[in-house]
Amino acid sequence: MDSQILRQLEGYEKVTTDIEVLKRYGYDYRLERGLAKKYVERFHPHAIDVKVTDIINETNSTKTLRLASKQKYMPPFQAGQYISVIVEVDGIRTSRPYSISSSPDEIAYYDITVRRVEGGMISNYLLDSIKIGDSLQVSAPAGNFYHNPIIHSNKVVYIAGGSGVTPFKSMIQHAVNTGTEKEIWLIYGSKNDSELIFNDYFSKVASKYTFFRYIPVLEEGAGTYKGFITKDIIKEIVGDSSDKTFFICGPQAMYEHLLKELQPLKLKPRQIRMESYGVPADVFSQPGWPKEISQNTRFVIKVRGKKDFTVTAGQPLLQSLEKNHIVVPSLCRSGECSMCRVKLVSGKVYQPEGVKLRQADRRFGYIHSCAAFPISDCEIII
Amino acid sequence: MYDVIIIGAGNAGLAAAATLARKGAKILLIEKHNIPGGCATSFCRGRFEFEVSLHQLSGMGTPERPGPLRSVLDSIGVLNKLDFVEMEKLYRVVMPGIIDITLPTNKEELIKVLQQQFPNQRDAIQKFFDFVWQFFTEVIGAFYLNDPDINPKKYPLYYKYALKDTQSVLDEYFNDPLLKAVISPYWTYMGLPPSKLCFSDMAALLFSYVEFKPYHIKGGSQMLSNAMLEVIYENGGEVLFNTEVSKILIKNNTAYGVRTTSGQEFESKYVLSNASAISTFVDMMDDTVNQKALEQYKGSSVGTSFFTIYCGLDCDYHEVGINEETNFISNSTDMEFDYQLSKTLDTENSSFILTCYNVFDNEMVPKGTSQVVLVTMKYAEPWLKVPPHQYNDEKYRCAEAMLKNAEKVFPGIISHIEEMEIATPITHMRYLGHPGGGAYGFDQYVKDSTMFISPKPPIDGLYCAGSWYGAAGYQPTLTSGHSAARAILKEMRKK
Repeated sequence: MDSQILRQLEGYEKVTTDIEVLKRYGYDYRLERGLAKKYVERFHPHAIDVKVTDIINETNSTKTLRLASKQKYMPPFQAGQYISVIVEVDGIRTSRPYSISSSPDEIAYYDITVRRVEGGMISNYLLDSIKIGDSLQVSAPAGNFYHNPIIHSNKVVYIAGGSGVTPFKSMIQHAVNTGTEKEIWLIYGSKNDSELIFNDYFSKVASKYTFFRYIPVLEEGAGTYKGFITKDIIKEIVGDSSDKTFFICGPQAMYEHLLKELQPLKLKPRQIRMESYGVPADVFSQPGWPKEISQNTRFVIKVRGKKDFTVTAGQPLLQSLEKNHIVVPSLCRSGECSMCRVKLVSGKVYQPEGVKLRQADRRFGYIHSCAAFPISDCEIII
Repeated sequence: MYDVIIIGAGNAGLAAAATLARKGAKILLIEKHNIPGGCATSFCRGRFEFEVSLHQLSGMGTPERPGPLRSVLDSIGVLNKLDFVEMEKLYRVVMPGIIDITLPTNKEELIKVLQQQFPNQRDAIQKFFDFVWQFFTEVIGAFYLNDPDINPKKYPLYYKYALKDTQSVLDEYFNDPLLKAVISPYWTYMGLPPSKLCFSDMAALLFSYVEFKPYHIKGGSQMLSNAMLEVIYENGGEVLFNTEVSKILIKNNTAYGVRTTSGQEFESKYVLSNASAISTFVDMMDDTVNQKALEQYKGSSVGTSFFTIYCGLDCDYHEVGINEETNFISNSTDMEFDYQLSKTLDTENSSFILTCYNVFDNEMVPKGTSQVVLVTMKYAEPWLKVPPHQYNDEKYRCAEAMLKNAEKVFPGIISHIEEMEIATPITHMRYLGHPGGGAYGFDQYVKDSTMFISPKPPIDGLYCAGSWYGAAGYQPTLTSGHSAARAILKEMRKK
C-alpha cells in the first residue's frame, strides 16, 4: 500500500514497532525445511519400501506375505483397510490392492494374503516368484472399509466370500488383541473347507472367546450350512438384524446375490458396509454394455502429448495405459478412490455401475480410468 | 520455454493460469495432487459427495448489480460455466439455553431482527451498521474507485479505524457480550478472534455478505476448480498433475523456471507460486537466494487449520431440526476463550459451524438424504504431538465430543449418520502440503496483511498468490491469483 497513506493511519507506529520487534526476535522458517512433509509421511508416505520377511502357506492356493518396512516404520491403519502393491511384471508397471490381513496393533509389519486367480498376472507373480527376503513397494494404507465406533453398531456381522475374508482377519485379530466390547459374527462362504482361509485361526478364536461366532457356509462337502449364504441362514444365525452393522467383502457375484438376499431383512443403508472389490472381469455381460461391441472390436486411444495405441474392447483403460508404459497413479482399481482420474476429451467409455464420480467430473468429462472401458476411439488427457 | 509456470492448482493458481491462458500467454501449471482445486474440492463416500471447504461465497452479487468477485470470475472466463444459488440467510447462531437467532441477509431486516432480540441496544445497533457502511463506503471510494487524492479529511473513518481491531470497535458500540457474539461469528472464517482481527477485514466481510449476499456454487467448489481448468485447456494451457516442484530455478535474483522431484527442468520467463510461503521460499529455494524474501515473514505465525466431520445423513435435514444452511453453535459468548481452545485438542467446549449443503441445492445429495459438515478451528501443533498409533482413536474421540454438542441442538443427528469422514489438521497438511495444515495461510494480523507485506517477493520474475500472501477465503484467493496474472501480463507487455 502507498506508504504516504499508511503513515497517516491511526495506530501506524504501533504496528511498525511490532513488525520491527518481531523481525528481531522472529522465527527462522529455514528450520522448517521439509518438516511438513515429514509429519505427513508418518501417516501417508508416497510409497513404502518393504521386505518380505515371511511367507505363510494358508491353503493350497493361498499364501500370506509378511511385509516389513526397510525404514523400520509402518504407518497406522484401521482394521479393514488395504494397501496397493506396486510391481513390475514382464516390463509392465502396475499395482494391485490387497486388504491388510494382520491386526493394526502389530506395528512392525503388514500381512497381505494372496489367493491364486486363474490368469491373474499379479497374484501368480506374488505367489510363484516372490521369496523371503525379496523387496517390494507398497502404498500407504487406504480405503473406507472399517468400523466407525460412533456410527456403527457394536454388534457386527461380517459376511465374506472366498479371499474377501482377509480384512475380517485383521478386524477379528484386532478385537482379540485389544479386548473388545463387540459381538462379532463371521459368516464365511467358500467352495469347500479346504479353500477356507484362516479356518484354524477362526475356529480357535471362536472356541476360546464368547464374543466371536464363526460360521463357514460351504458350497460342497460337509458342514452345518451348505450352498450359498441366504437370508434364512443369516436370520437363523444372527437373529434380529435391526441393531447390527453388516460388513461385506467378496467377489462381485456375491454382492449381487447377497443384496437380494438381504432385502427382506429391511436393513437401512447405514447398516451395510461393502468393500469395493475390483471391476467386473467380464464387462460384456454387464447391464448397459453395447451389444455390437465384442472381444474382437478394436479402438484407437490417443493420449494427448504422449502417444496413440490400439486396444481391444473389454479392457479397463488404466490397464491399457500401463501396457503401453504410460504411468497413471492408481490405488483402489475399483472406480472408487479417483487416483487414476483422467480427462476424456472425445470418444465414449462404458462405466460399470457403482463408479464414484464427482458431479463436477461427470460434467467436465473426467473418468476413473480403472473403471472405464473404451467403446469407441478415444482421446484423453492425463 | 514457457511464458509463465504456475506452481499449484489451488484457487489462486487456477485463477492465474486461466487468466494468463485466455490472454494468450504460454503457460504450464504444475500440481502435486491428482485433481485441481486445493481446498476447493470434493470427495465421494458411499452414495454421498462431500464439499470440502466452501461455506458461503462472498462478493458475488447479481448480474444486474455485480459484486467484485463476479467480475473477477467473468474475467477468468468461468462465469458462463457455473450456476450459482443465492442464500437467503446469513446464519443461525445457537448457544443452547442462551440464544437461538437467525439473521437474514437484507440489511434493514437484519437490523430489525437484532433490535427485537436486543431492545435496549436499539440505537446502538442502528449506529453500528450505519458506521460499518460509512466506513466501507470510504474504502470503496478511496481504493476500489482509485481516488488519486486520498487524504484524512476526505476519508476520516478510514484513517481512524483502518488499523483498529474488531473488539475495540464492538466495545465502542455495545456493552452486551451476547450481542457482540451474535454479530461476530464470522471471525472463524478469518481465523482470529475479534481482539486480534483487523476491523477492516471484519467490516469487509459483513458488508460484502449483506450487500452482495452469500452464494453457493451448484455442484460445489470442485465445479469451480474444474471450470477454471477447462478454460486453461480451451486456451492451450498445459497442465501436469501428480508432479511436484522441488526447486524454483533462480539466477542473479531472477526466477527462470522450475525443477520437479523427478529431475525434469522447465524454463519460463515468469514463475508464479500458489504454494505456501514456507514451501516456496524454504523448500523450493536454497538459502543463498531466499534471505530477503524470508526476512518479511519472520514475524508471521502459521495460521489455523481445522477439525472437520463430513456427515451424510439418511434423512431429510428438517427431521433433525436443521432449517438453515449455515449454523454457528457455541457454548458461550467468550470468543477469546474459544480461540484459545483452537490451540488444544479439546472439542467438547469448542464452538463449531454446521453447514447443511443441500438446503439450497438438492442436487448435492441423493433424494431423502442430507449433507452436513461440522467444522471447528484447530491449529496443527497439538495434533502433531499425538503418537501416530493413537491418531485414529483421537480422531474418533474429538468427533464424538463435537457430535454430542450437535446433538443438543439437532436431536437425533448421530443416529442418522450413514457416511462419515473425519479430517484433522494433518489431513489438510497432506492434501495442501501447507505447514500446519494452514488453510488460511499465516495468521491474519494487521501487520501480516498486504498493507504491510507486498505479495510480490523481492525476486525478479517471481510472483506469489493465495492465502499465504494476503487474505484467505475464496474471494480473496481467486482475486489474488487474478491480480498476480494481470501484473505479469503488464510486465510482459513492457518487454
